[in-house]
Amino acid sequence: MIEIDTNEIALELKDVVKTYHKVPVITQLNLQIKKGEFMVLLGPSGCGKSTTLRLIAGLEAPTAGEIRIAGTDRQSHAKASDDIAMVFQDYALYPNMTVYQNLDYALKVHKVPKAARQQRLTKILATLNLTAYQDRLPGQLSGGQKQRVALGRGLAKKSPIFLLDEPLSNIDVQLREKARDEIQDLHQANGQTIVYVTHDQLEAMALGDRIAIMNAGKIQMVDTPDNIYNHPANLFVAQFVGTPQINILAAQYQQGQLQFQGQTLPLTPGQAQALAGQGDQGLDLGIRPEHVLVHSQPAGQPAYPAQVTQIIDYGRYQQLTLAVNADTTLKAITTNNDVTKDTTVYLTFAPKHILLFDHKNQKNIEK
Amino acid sequence: MRPFKANGWHLLLLVICLALILPVLFMVANSFKTLQDSYHTMWQLIPLHPTLKNYQTLSRQVALLRLIWNTFFMATLVTLGKLSTGLLAAYAFQYFHFRGKRWVYFAFVATIFIPFTVTMIPNYLVIAKANLLNTALGVALPQLCDATGIMIFLKAMAKIPRSLIESAYLDQIPTHRLLMNIIIPILRPSIISIGAIFFINSWNEYVWPTLILKDKSSFTLPLALQNYISSEGGTNFPLAMALATIMIIVPLAIYMVFQRYILNSISNSGLK
Repeated sequence: MIEIDTNEIALELKDVVKTYHKVPVITQLNLQIKKGEFMVLLGPSGCGKSTTLRLIAGLEAPTAGEIRIAGTDRQSHAKASDDIAMVFQDYALYPNMTVYQNLDYALKVHKVPKAARQQRLTKILATLNLTAYQDRLPGQLSGGQKQRVALGRGLAKKSPIFLLDEPLSNIDVQLREKARDEIQDLHQANGQTIVYVTHDQLEAMALGDRIAIMNAGKIQMVDTPDNIYNHPANLFVAQFVGTPQINILAAQYQQGQLQFQGQTLPLTPGQAQALAGQGDQGLDLGIRPEHVLVHSQPAGQPAYPAQVTQIIDYGRYQQLTLAVNADTTLKAITTNNDVTKDTTVYLTFAPKHILLFDHKNQKNIEK
Repeated sequence: MRPFKANGWHLLLLVICLALILPVLFMVANSFKTLQDSYHTMWQLIPLHPTLKNYQTLSRQVALLRLIWNTFFMATLVTLGKLSTGLLAAYAFQYFHFRGKRWVYFAFVATIFIPFTVTMIPNYLVIAKANLLNTALGVALPQLCDATGIMIFLKAMAKIPRSLIESAYLDQIPTHRLLMNIIIPILRPSIISIGAIFFINSWNEYVWPTLILKDKSSFTLPLALQNYISSEGGTNFPLAMALATIMIIVPLAIYMVFQRYILNSISNSGLK
């Protein structure tokens, strides 16, 4: 990993462990989040991403390890909560207070002068298009509006760190994209450090400067969306990101060559270097469906004849299920709509898009 | 719901309603009858010779306002006590972590199953020792806490989303503010309905006040009513009915004002 100037670290998790009743939820988590960064924690449910967020928030104490905010340990930092605002999945708006009061309450309790409060909130309400709703109770708002109020309450606090726990999961699908863009705009306008938890890979890809992919209490990979997608660190990351899922095929490394279904596939220089000097072994070959090229005639070498067993037409593209033989099927995406079911087509793989994973430890051989 | 349909259930409900309302009508009707009429035509719901004489006699014989005030004061004291201790205890049980919480809670709830007759004498001795006989405080003191309230408030608090409390925690809202500004407003329907029930129970209470209140000037309505039933010289029936009618006015008014909350399930926390 690249070394980052520690002055710029807003938030750091060092060897953090969390166990509940002796069941480990987080095992040895290390993560550095830069000032102003939009960090997304992505993973399947139960992977520990929400727990990580709750640890950062201070709602839970780590069993071991350290959480440092602006260089200070979370546990010994009495005013740490000042630095953190959080939006909960269910928004947690005070149901007995109007939109304005919800935003105002914490400031009022902490004796921020009335004029300053008013000025700050008027601006926030306007930014979030909530001015017209400021006297409504949360019960009278739509999901999207509630979510904006929750964001506003976080913004009102002016904390440098903003934690968001699946803030879009309770919003109608049609509005989700809009809400997502709003969050992005807010981040760009305010430059806060954001830690955003989601299980939705599209949301993660769209929002994150970097994404931390988690599984089973561990971080699998932390990188930009581009690297996560194109250079996944291991099989889990490769399979978790991308729809339809990446094709994972059994290949062999024999006498310095990559063999798949009786033909030799070229290795990239990086792969050749990583495998140089290694003995024969089984490898997992990963190729994303959009990188499986489908031809009606054998074109170029090596090409694999395959039977088209299923076509799902999504309009914008077609998803094909292709059987190379009884044991080996893969998915491909085409946009030309000229393939018919139960015919034979010929497949080629673009060499630079072929990913190779160690069959034993499931790691990308290039990492 | 469909318009009234006289199926079996409705008939049954009608019978139950009548059975419940009849004694009330009987009481009100007889309070407006003369002594003679009340003996001859006791079951007649419309008095033959309606009269206000019973109420006039009552107001001459007893200090009605004083009685109502005594009862009201005592019931209010008990209700406020039960509500505030119940809310505070439930809050602690719900949101604080301390050793043996479960056992303390069980011990509290177990007190519900101790019959009044068991605690009656020890409580009386304590109140007598504390020189609180003949006072409303003496009546109220042993009743200021009630595990029923704790239990119901705890159930209602459990329905408040955890995230709301956590959000307040992150905003560093002090505990007393959280209770006053967020929890209590959310629980308002529960508090009102439980409060009304506590109040009405206390208003009607008889046995314990008879032990503590000896002096007529400290009497509550149920005690005064007892004076008109089978006291020496026989029961003046319409007079007793008139006092009973006066006695139900306050609970009735409370019920009518807070009907909406009381009819709502008492477990409703008001969040939806």
